Amino acid sequence: MTDMRKIFYPESIAVVGATENLFKWGSYIFTNILAGGFGGKVYPVTKSKDTIYGHRAYGSLTGIEGPVDLVFITTPAASVMGVLADCVEKGVKQVVLITSGFSETGEEGVRLEEEMASFARANGIAVVGPNTMGIVNTAAGLYATGSQVRAPKGGISIIAQSGNVGNQIMEWAEQQNIGIGKFVGSGNEGVLGCEDYVAYFGDDPDTTVVLMYIEGVDDGRRFMEAARGAGMKKPVIALKAGRTEMGSRAAASHTGAMAGSFKTYESALRQSGVILVKAPTELLTISSAFDSMPLPKGNRVGVVTLGGGWGVITADECEERGLALPPLPDDVFKKLDSMLPPFWSRGNPVDLVGQPSIELFKESMNSMVSSEAYDAVILLGMVGAGKFVLRIHESAAHMGYYSYDKLEELRQIFDERQSNFLDNIIELMEKYDKPIYPVALISSPGDEMIHYKKGSGYKAIIYKTPEEAVFCLEKQYEYYRYRNRRTTGRQ
Amino acid sequence: MKELLRNAIGRGQKALSEFDSKRLITMAGFPVSRNDLARTREEAVAIAERLGFPVVLKGCSDTLTHKTEMGMVKLKLKTVSEVAEAYDEITGKGARLDGVLVQEWIEGDKREFVVGLTRDPQFGPCVMFGLGGIFTEALRDVSFRIAPLSEMDAEEMIDEIQTRKLLGEFRGSPAVDRAELVKALMGIGRLGLENDEIAEIDINPLIVDGDKPVAVDALVILAAPKAGAKIA
Repeated sequence: MTDMRKIFYPESIAVVGATENLFKWGSYIFTNILAGGFGGKVYPVTKSKDTIYGHRAYGSLTGIEGPVDLVFITTPAASVMGVLADCVEKGVKQVVLITSGFSETGEEGVRLEEEMASFARANGIAVVGPNTMGIVNTAAGLYATGSQVRAPKGGISIIAQSGNVGNQIMEWAEQQNIGIGKFVGSGNEGVLGCEDYVAYFGDDPDTTVVLMYIEGVDDGRRFMEAARGAGMKKPVIALKAGRTEMGSRAAASHTGAMAGSFKTYESALRQSGVILVKAPTELLTISSAFDSMPLPKGNRVGVVTLGGGWGVITADECEERGLALPPLPDDVFKKLDSMLPPFWSRGNPVDLVGQPSIELFKESMNSMVSSEAYDAVILLGMVGAGKFVLRIHESAAHMGYYSYDKLEELRQIFDERQSNFLDNIIELMEKYDKPIYPVALISSPGDEMIHYKKGSGYKAIIYKTPEEAVFCLEKQYEYYRYRNRRTTGRQ
Repeated sequence: MKELLRNAIGRGQKALSEFDSKRLITMAGFPVSRNDLARTREEAVAIAERLGFPVVLKGCSDTLTHKTEMGMVKLKLKTVSEVAEAYDEITGKGARLDGVLVQEWIEGDKREFVVGLTRDPQFGPCVMFGLGGIFTEALRDVSFRIAPLSEMDAEEMIDEIQTRKLLGEFRGSPAVDRAELVKALMGIGRLGLENDEIAEIDINPLIVDGDKPVAVDALVILAAPKAGAKIA
């Protein structure tokens, strides 16, 4: 069995083909590892220079004095067999083969890839790639992909059969401050395949959610077994590309993997407990929900809203996605009725009819979350309500009827209030082991999209729309139900 | 079971006749309408009397496709003379037949489903379930699972189709016996997994008789010799 851990937690790395030419892979990888803050040793290997970016360069792997855990190869395809022979001599067991020009290019490339793979297998070398974008492990400060993305540390680990798609997902994660654990661009999967990565991420204690972008797998049954095993331990979220006939032709020509019919893939994935999504943005949205909140243990949803329209939209979305909005139980009804103005909705969704009182909203939220009648709670509008009020004052300030100093003070008050409110949501999720989905009344670019609270494993995600919140809730419930059925054997 | 398949392949058949297809799926535990093969008019009448009227007569051969369009299917025959007449008509068309299939007439309640087996190059044998009858291809309301199917898999694939409400109580008909359906789907999965000789299976329609699902037509397509060798 391959020691996958050493690929992601190496103590020493060599980059074969290191160069100071900024636009070559030998530079991308080397600079990314160093600038990304990797703490271990990094050796540049090249015959053409004595130093690379000020680091002593080695003419070959075998010339390096200390041990080498992981080798990145960026030199042309024709040179790869020679470098692998050096790896054997040096005792290297882990290789990331960035080099392209293998099975993705035609017959000669297929032959070369087979030669490379059988040599690697015979010598017990685990190879990522060829034709890979590289790997990341935020926990080890290891950023070793072609693009210099710095997604923050977290638990979502990514397997991407397309480096570009994987890269884009990490870019989004960086923008939205969503924590990423590991990344691997699986490339042509000459030696290690998707199934190996999903099995490893399934066992990896630093990974909370596995995110996959798949175009095709070579051995469907092995893949299913690996995905099923991982799926019982943690959620596995996947996008299978090639939904349409045109899409699947493009996929086949892209990686050389044969893409089976979409419907079969979809069924196989679902049967293995994998949560399916249709768009790359959904991959991250859903993964982040799983990573941030406890699972709903049922499909009964309580809704608290600042306005009626949103409540109706949310109720429709829930109904269409197989979620229920049970009426308020007596105790909750009585409590709310004693507190809220007489014109409140008197039902679920609890509609505060535009009363922007944070105390009333909190009380309503507490009553719903603590009630046995609900498995999850959606909050519409309290988050971002401060911004609504702030904008009124902004307009007044523009007209000269409010001072800018006071406006700044007000901004700070609202920011703090919102931060406390989001902390409160996280505390409730911990206390009742139920997910809570706040949807913002107003959110602007640059606003916090995910709220962290020191000492808590849970996070509050600020959703932009009710439909996005319901979509996440549906997928989380789907996963809970799948796993629960298989654990208990009950329908 | 193996004998049935190997003999057919040995004779160069590309498919099993309806009679043999039904025998095969019966062995896998799939509920099938009662029927028998008649090689003479007298046999046809005797079988009909044994099954009880009304009956259905169908020309039966492994090469016969589009039976209905060719006038090879005679429905709801109520008397001895109707059966005899239908037998003569079917055999008089000049097609090469194994015989004429005499099948019990099941009124059903118009709820028709389809069950199938296909082979995927990556995943191997896959079981299909969905809305059957004449709208099968137009609506494509079907779900798939990779064999072997667990009971849970079968339950989930049944619940996955859009028209799943048809399986519950429907316009005065009782809910379909789910346990029976689950067992049937699991059986088809095992059949595909254990027999590389089978390339595909079509069971359409599967009709509902009271609460029991019953296959009234079935077609087993055989794999070309050797082709099935690699499948795990």
